[in-house]
Amino acid sequence: MSILDRLLRREDLHSLAAPYALDALEPAERVRFERHLAGCERCAAEVRALSEDAVRLAWSTTALAPPGLRNRVLTAVRNTPQDSAPEPAYDAPRARAPHLPPHVWGAAPPPARVRAPRMRPLFAPFATATAAAALVVAALFAVQATQTQDRLDAERAQAREIAHVLAAPDARATSDRDARGRGIGVIASASEGRAVVTLSGLDAPPSGRVHQLWQMRPNAQPRSLGLFRDDTPLVASGLSKAATSLAVTVEPDGGSVQPTGQPVVQLALQSVGFGG
Amino acid sequence: MEPEKSFRACSTRVFASLIRIPSEPGGRSACHSDASKPCTAAERGLRVEADELLVLVAGGDQKAFEELYGLVSGPVFGLVRRVVRDPAQSEEVAQEVLLELWRSAPRFDPGRGSALSWILTLAHRRAVDRVRSARAAGEREQREARRAHHPAFDHVAEEVEAGLEREWVRRCLDRLTALQRQSVTLAYYDGYTYREVAERLSLPLGTVKTRMRDGLTRLRECLGGVA
Repeated sequence: MSILDRLLRREDLHSLAAPYALDALEPAERVRFERHLAGCERCAAEVRALSEDAVRLAWSTTALAPPGLRNRVLTAVRNTPQDSAPEPAYDAPRARAPHLPPHVWGAAPPPARVRAPRMRPLFAPFATATAAAALVVAALFAVQATQTQDRLDAERAQAREIAHVLAAPDARATSDRDARGRGIGVIASASEGRAVVTLSGLDAPPSGRVHQLWQMRPNAQPRSLGLFRDDTPLVASGLSKAATSLAVTVEPDGGSVQPTGQPVVQLALQSVGFGG
Repeated sequence: MEPEKSFRACSTRVFASLIRIPSEPGGRSACHSDASKPCTAAERGLRVEADELLVLVAGGDQKAFEELYGLVSGPVFGLVRRVVRDPAQSEEVAQEVLLELWRSAPRFDPGRGSALSWILTLAHRRAVDRVRSARAAGEREQREARRAHHPAFDHVAEEVEAGLEREWVRRCLDRLTALQRQSVTLAYYDGYTYREVAERLSLPLGTVKTRMRDGLTRLRECLGGVA
């Protein structure tokens, strides 16, 4: 094969990166391309980037998994050894061998379990949580010292509500921050349908406008969960178990019935037990 | 769930976030390993959680798998159903994928990308395999023939689970040229190979490959802009 042929062939293989990332190659081509990938760091990097892009398409298809699926999967998991487990104690039914793209799985077969011992926290997580909660409450009361009696009463009532959410047995937390440094954090209890929501790094809304919090859920209009006042955390109640995310928009004073603008920040609730 | 368990995955990060949201724009909170490619806030939140949990799952932690299931079962099932369409078959494939996730977790290499991408790549691969073998078996021929009259994009629009993420992807798909959009969606959402896409769109193979690449790149630029 001439050098030119070889170059052309190479070029041809490179052009398969996008179809590969979309899983749009036929099996034989897939194998040929994966062989090429193993020795071409530039293509591997490109395929990784394109695959990340393709995954963005998946993100928009999220749906509630059927209720029975969870039990079946968890039961199967309890009875299925993991791939790198040294010696399976018994013969669990196995699906066909994984045939997976090398850019995510590594081109070489996985090494036998050589795993650094996992770091264990030095203290119990519950103690950590309690200490952190104490910090939150302390911060709230520090703010209160400079406020009038009326505000104080309101804040104390809110502190109680916050403590109530924190104490829920299924209280969990998550937070996020975007590239511009605008953040949203939540501690939520799915069983109580309540959440404490904090914002950070957002510009103060223009005069006559407020930040309004919305519950987003499939097949339903956004529902208002209240308005943010200054930097005070907002305690939202009546959160639907089916809520998939929270969103904050800038609305006219007094709030809107439905959001009138694009969300400034948004936070998925799946990790705190909502949205199935 | 006991509080100890619920707090475990995020105990250090979590409460600190009430006072001060962690600031690591280039760190693990970024959607991609490359911080210059931002993504939607919700997407990023999920990714970080999934990354942490998958490491625990790789160590055989079944509790962590339960939590991971809560995070990814929706995206996995949604994607599989989008490609496979048939509800019963979708459930079957999703179950296979989630079990494979458990089995293969020890092979996950965080250096090669996010856990969520890894999981969704696996789900997509399995869904496409299923839809192609079903097609080959001719089961779907009739339905396919009917569907062939509609551009693939309509399927995105007709999905019921509305959400801001979906809205963003839809808008960004809308900004692609018709050929870029069709090339990308026929492959990704309908599981066609690029040769089949070329046939359906009556385009040369090279053109389809280029449209796929340009489409994905433009999608990256558009979605990156909405974080």
